[in-house]
Amino acid sequence: MRLALQLLISHGRVARRMGLGPESRINILRNILTGLVRHERIETTTARADEVRFYAEKLIDYAKRGDTDEKAMKMASFWLTEKDLVPKLFKVLAPRFETQQKGYTRMVRLPARLNLDRAKMAVLEYKGNPFPHLSPIRKENELTLINQLLKAYREERSQFLAAKS
Amino acid sequence: MAACMKRLDRAMLSIRLLRNIQLHNERSLSTSLHRLALDGEQPSKFTPPVKPVIIDKTQSVASLRKFLSPEFVPPRQRTNPAKFSMERRDMVRRRKVLHIPEFYVGSILAVTMTDPHSAGKNNRFVGICIQRGGRGLGATFVLRNIIDNQGVEICYEMYSPRVQQIEVLKLEKRLDDNLMYLRDALPEYCTVDPDMKPHPFSTTGEVPVNKIKVKMLPKPWSKRWERPKFDVKGIRFDLCLSPEQMEHAQKWAQPWLEYDMLKEYDTSKLEEDIYTEIQQEAATK
Repeated sequence: MRLALQLLISHGRVARRMGLGPESRINILRNILTGLVRHERIETTTARADEVRFYAEKLIDYAKRGDTDEKAMKMASFWLTEKDLVPKLFKVLAPRFETQQKGYTRMVRLPARLNLDRAKMAVLEYKGNPFPHLSPIRKENELTLINQLLKAYREERSQFLAAKS
Repeated sequence: MAACMKRLDRAMLSIRLLRNIQLHNERSLSTSLHRLALDGEQPSKFTPPVKPVIIDKTQSVASLRKFLSPEFVPPRQRTNPAKFSMERRDMVRRRKVLHIPEFYVGSILAVTMTDPHSAGKNNRFVGICIQRGGRGLGATFVLRNIIDNQGVEICYEMYSPRVQQIEVLKLEKRLDDNLMYLRDALPEYCTVDPDMKPHPFSTTGEVPVNKIKVKMLPKPWSKRWERPKFDVKGIRFDLCLSPEQMEHAQKWAQPWLEYDMLKEYDTSKLEEDIYTEIQQEAATK
């Protein structure tokens, strides 16, 4: 088809468009990422949170290389507009995720904003942050009948194995 | 005066004698040969001595340059990797029949292709490689040469069955991956002698990089090569553009692009896997 038509139809295009243009998009994501590194839990629109998620995880991958690495330092100083967060990234966040390979962030959807725009909101956070959990943790009730029977079974089994050996 | 003349005369005489002796010897030699030949059957054809084949055993296989042709590495996409592995198998099968040498953009190649309309059924084209495109079996390379003051570019498909022979006459790299700007450069940079002899090159060590900076024809060009999106390093901009024009071109620069992690695609591990796969395929059968 004609090249001009190709620009108007976006079938199969995965890259999102945000703000005024590619530079604006990168600036928006940079600001959100800086806020995320500072506060470790932020609330934005779903689309922005989804975009920032990728960059947040890649930034951690670069930070894992260490602050002696030139490329890592350049990336960190570009993406973090507040320069006092660069040591925090390398000294706090990178060691926290040393054992993990991927999945440093968590995104949870929220009810829509109450403003006129009714925008879909989401919470984006780095795992291991000091705040209470976003979704309530389901604690198993130990006092139900089945759990009491299972507890007794497990105790008997461990006694039996200890006696056998 | 008279003395040197006498000496000259004696020298001339001795030379003439020697020459006569030589001629006499030759004549005698030739007649003897003729006699020998007449004794036997027909005169045997002159077979030149066998050229000694020098096998360089000082360098081991490990020191040979590891080269993976770029058309083996697929770009980032959502298709099933089985498609690429099947394609690679077909590419290795074709490479077993036709030797496709290692070459880069900027090397000088000679390609012979079958041509039903030419007298010898083959035609040969020599040119400088300006672009390597395509992935998989559809991989192409464009050769450029100037013949009779006319620029000629031919795009060859590497795995086409019409291609008979690909010869590398000069192996070298250039400062850029894409030399399309040679279309707007002075013709001297694209003229390649069709009867060029192949330059010897080593299979180990680094490929020589030709750091030449090309002089351009006056503007307008086919593309605005000074713009940062092309990232051309091999043009002498100081001769054809003013500093104001260079600054104006920098308005199209996108400095955030080098920090955009979404655009990065690290192929090193993929390349290693593909290299081992191809070596195994080539070793079988």
